[in-house]
Amino acid sequence: MLRRYILALVLLFAQPIGANAQTLQDILQTHQEEVLKPGRRTVGVVLDDLVASGLPQAVPFLEAWRDREIVQRESDGLFFAVAEDGDTVALRDLDTNEVQTTAPDTALTEARPNGGVRRAIGDALVQFQLSDPDIEKRQAAVNAIARSMDASQLAPLQASIEAESDAALLAQKERLVGMLNASFADSTQDRIAAIEALSGDLSVDVRAVMNTILATSAHVALTVPDGANVAQILDVGTDLTPAEAYDRLVAAELAPPLVPKSAIREALIANISDGSVGGVAVAELNTDAARETAYDALAAAGSVEPRVTTQAQADAVAAHIFYLSYDEPDPSITDVTRTALTAIETKVGLSQTVDLGLDALSLASIYFLAAIGLAITFGVMGVINMAHGEFIMMGAYTGFVVQQFVPDYTLSIIIALPLAFAITFGAGVAMERLVIRHLYHRPLETLLATFGISIALQQLAKNIFGTQARPLTSPEWLDGALVFNDVIAISYIRIAIFVLALIFLALILYVLKRTRLGLEVRAVTQNPGMAASMGINPDRINMLTFGLGSGIAGIAGVAIGLYAKVTSEMGADYIVQSFMTVVVGGVGNVWGTLAGASLIGFLQKGIEWLNPSNTLAAQTYMILFIILFIQFRPKGIVALKGRAAAD
Amino acid sequence: MMQRSFLAQNPSVLWFISILAVFTVIVTLLSEVTGVDMISTSFVKTLGKTLCLCLVAIAMDVVWGYCGILSLGHFAFFGIGGYAIGMWLMYARTEGIVLESLAGQPIPATPAEISDAIGNQIFGVVGSSDFPMIWAFADNLFLQLLMVVLVPGTLALVFGWLAFRSRVTGVYLSILTQAMTLALALYLFQNDSGLRGNNGLSGLQNIPGYEGVSQATLSIVFFIASAVALGAGYVFFAWIVSGKMGSVVKGIRDNEARVRFLGYHVESYKLFIFTTTAVVAGIAGALYYPQAGIINPGEIAPIASIYLAVWVAIGGRGRLYGAVIGAAFVSLLSSWFTGGGAPNINLGFYVIQWTDWWLVLLGFSFVVVTLFFPKGIGGLFDMLVRKQS
Repeated sequence: MLRRYILALVLLFAQPIGANAQTLQDILQTHQEEVLKPGRRTVGVVLDDLVASGLPQAVPFLEAWRDREIVQRESDGLFFAVAEDGDTVALRDLDTNEVQTTAPDTALTEARPNGGVRRAIGDALVQFQLSDPDIEKRQAAVNAIARSMDASQLAPLQASIEAESDAALLAQKERLVGMLNASFADSTQDRIAAIEALSGDLSVDVRAVMNTILATSAHVALTVPDGANVAQILDVGTDLTPAEAYDRLVAAELAPPLVPKSAIREALIANISDGSVGGVAVAELNTDAARETAYDALAAAGSVEPRVTTQAQADAVAAHIFYLSYDEPDPSITDVTRTALTAIETKVGLSQTVDLGLDALSLASIYFLAAIGLAITFGVMGVINMAHGEFIMMGAYTGFVVQQFVPDYTLSIIIALPLAFAITFGAGVAMERLVIRHLYHRPLETLLATFGISIALQQLAKNIFGTQARPLTSPEWLDGALVFNDVIAISYIRIAIFVLALIFLALILYVLKRTRLGLEVRAVTQNPGMAASMGINPDRINMLTFGLGSGIAGIAGVAIGLYAKVTSEMGADYIVQSFMTVVVGGVGNVWGTLAGASLIGFLQKGIEWLNPSNTLAAQTYMILFIILFIQFRPKGIVALKGRAAAD
Repeated sequence: MMQRSFLAQNPSVLWFISILAVFTVIVTLLSEVTGVDMISTSFVKTLGKTLCLCLVAIAMDVVWGYCGILSLGHFAFFGIGGYAIGMWLMYARTEGIVLESLAGQPIPATPAEISDAIGNQIFGVVGSSDFPMIWAFADNLFLQLLMVVLVPGTLALVFGWLAFRSRVTGVYLSILTQAMTLALALYLFQNDSGLRGNNGLSGLQNIPGYEGVSQATLSIVFFIASAVALGAGYVFFAWIVSGKMGSVVKGIRDNEARVRFLGYHVESYKLFIFTTTAVVAGIAGALYYPQAGIINPGEIAPIASIYLAVWVAIGGRGRLYGAVIGAAFVSLLSSWFTGGGAPNINLGFYVIQWTDWWLVLLGFSFVVVTLFFPKGIGGLFDMLVRKQS
């Protein structure tokens, strides 16, 4: 603010010392007619003079002029800005910017610039704004130029660079000058230099500039004219179909238009006489061949235009040459641009591959988080728990409820994670004791009983929280994304989920392989009878293991809730995928779950990349792939061997 | 001779057929058609649909209760049957409408124009007008009826062959069939699946060629057809599971390895049962959806197949009448509760609205049935029989 004030002061005092001490009013008086009724051509003179004068008060004047707030006092021809409208208008002096006088509405003539003129005024304003002391106005002007690039902006933008004080804006301006130079610089050398300078830039707007330079249009001629900058000679049959080729000939008025089926029909209807057309009975006109015969008879009689025969079409197409030519006439520039664009596109392609890889990795970590609890209950214990998805949902709703009581998002997440674990651990233990324990030797019935629990829990959640999606807001430090370049970016929340997945992997491996509990779990899994005879209580171990698997589902629910919406159906969305992950990876093995999640994550992203418009199709193909995969590796990617593999 | 011994072995078949016949006659007599009008047309439709659900439940019972394959995909076969018949119904009806509207034109329409107009009518909602390949036989009722049988059958045959030959069993097979169902539902949800995506096929209650016949009559015709199909399906499956084949199939359920070691080709038996039941499910679907009037991909979602298993489990696995009882009982109860027929319970501090709480009740009662009454409702009959003897 202070800087702006000083700048304004400097401008104010500097002006009278300038070579010509003219006021804004003086300039306007010399162009009375153009100010009052500006035309798109005549306005240029006024604008040029205003720009040349460098008067600071020109900017508010231009703004007022554009907004139709400039009036002329009819008595002496002086111009004023309208300060307050009404029957009596308060007038503001254009040079001092003070409300000086009032005048009745009838004694004033309003300046009425039309749309085209107002756009021209806007362009001129951009030039002023580029050196405006207010950085926001400068930024807005630069953005305006970037939105619609145009040759006239090059000079003022270049002129404003030297005085630019803000480093970031300076960089933007220089980049913009580069792009403008590539398209509009006067000499071929300058343009080539500018284009080559841009070839390291991956951003979308640079690619757009290059694509504009390389824009082609389709032409057709008997021979390729001299001086045409030909991009490609089109081969009829491979690059375009004969029908398209003929349509282009018609469009270029090099061949007579075809008679479409609808026109044939219209002509036949118009020429019905005595129940027949051209010698064919109306009732028989129900095939295209019969209609054509009738139409040809009409054409022979001279009452309608004749049809273009297939032979004539083929001859016309063969006689002409179809080609694409660049709108840019200079071949040296298009050559350089093509090379630069190819280089950029190679880099973009590489970056997109990396970006896709990151996407796939984050999807894989979500699947891993959703499935890791199952890897324990289903994979290690062999208990199929269809309500696992509902444990994920319970975890997510726990996070939501905590956020209702603890408004600080960071703190609420820190509370929600262990709370979700505790709640779902409890739910898991209760379910194991009440239901699953009684069904250990009837796996199919476990599936159905847990499914019953699943629908009951889902409906309960719907009754308590309603059907609409509930938000689980992430802390501020997880907003935004880690940006590597214009193509590669990954949001912090996905990184957090990835890190969480890694932590879980390490934690579970540690629990299973390095703790007493893990040892006992593995012992009970392999041979409950023998484990029991060694003094391990299988009931207790099963209960704890099931609780652990469920608790992890709860934590996964909080993580998934941060990234997707919390609904009562969110668990059902993940359950089939989770089972797939465990089965594909290999039952009974945490590493297998990791492999399964990675395979499914990367596969899904890969299929989506091949067919980007359709995630539903991607999921369909992925499931089909998994069904086939299980045919060939029924035990999953990481198959257990030896004693551990025994059923 | 053979026939007599089969029926003698299975007294329940005769009982079932008689009860079904009496039920059908009573409903027909009390319907709008005879003028008695004690059972409304919409309730006749509900009963007819329920009979179709009983038929698919029997199929499910054979594949799960007798053969031990918990398929979570049989409702998908049911849906495919519905889609197959729905394609003909929709095509033929739209063709009738289009021909009528084109009849007033000064010159007769070409086949291409007719086909375009029908395509526009049917696929306009998904922004297309071309007929996809799968509609190639839609204009022919006989071929499309063949599709009702062939498509579920072929799908079950290929899927079953792949799954059984690599010895996928138990819960793995359940998950695999569920994945198949999910893949099919997701595929059908796409607009370019060629089956109108999310919109599904609609207007199926209008039977082309019988526009003049009232819905009351049509509903009774379909009700009787469903009853006949159910009776035939019951006899067919009762015959399959009673003979020597039935013994092998039950043997596979109880100990697959042992049956294999006895020299039976287990995979063939399983494949036969899986495919046959899929075909019957398809037929049931083809009878169900003209009564429902609309089919969309949501009907095929994995949850529907799980409900099918729920019905069979509640009714009582391993006995065919159990499946019928379960399907009829649970689906009618479900429509009574969710349709607002059940009175709400006022607890003073909270009003239990059954439209919200029915699924909770169903879910938990399902757990209770699995835990304490593994034989389901059918188990009650055993108790009765035992008391008498």
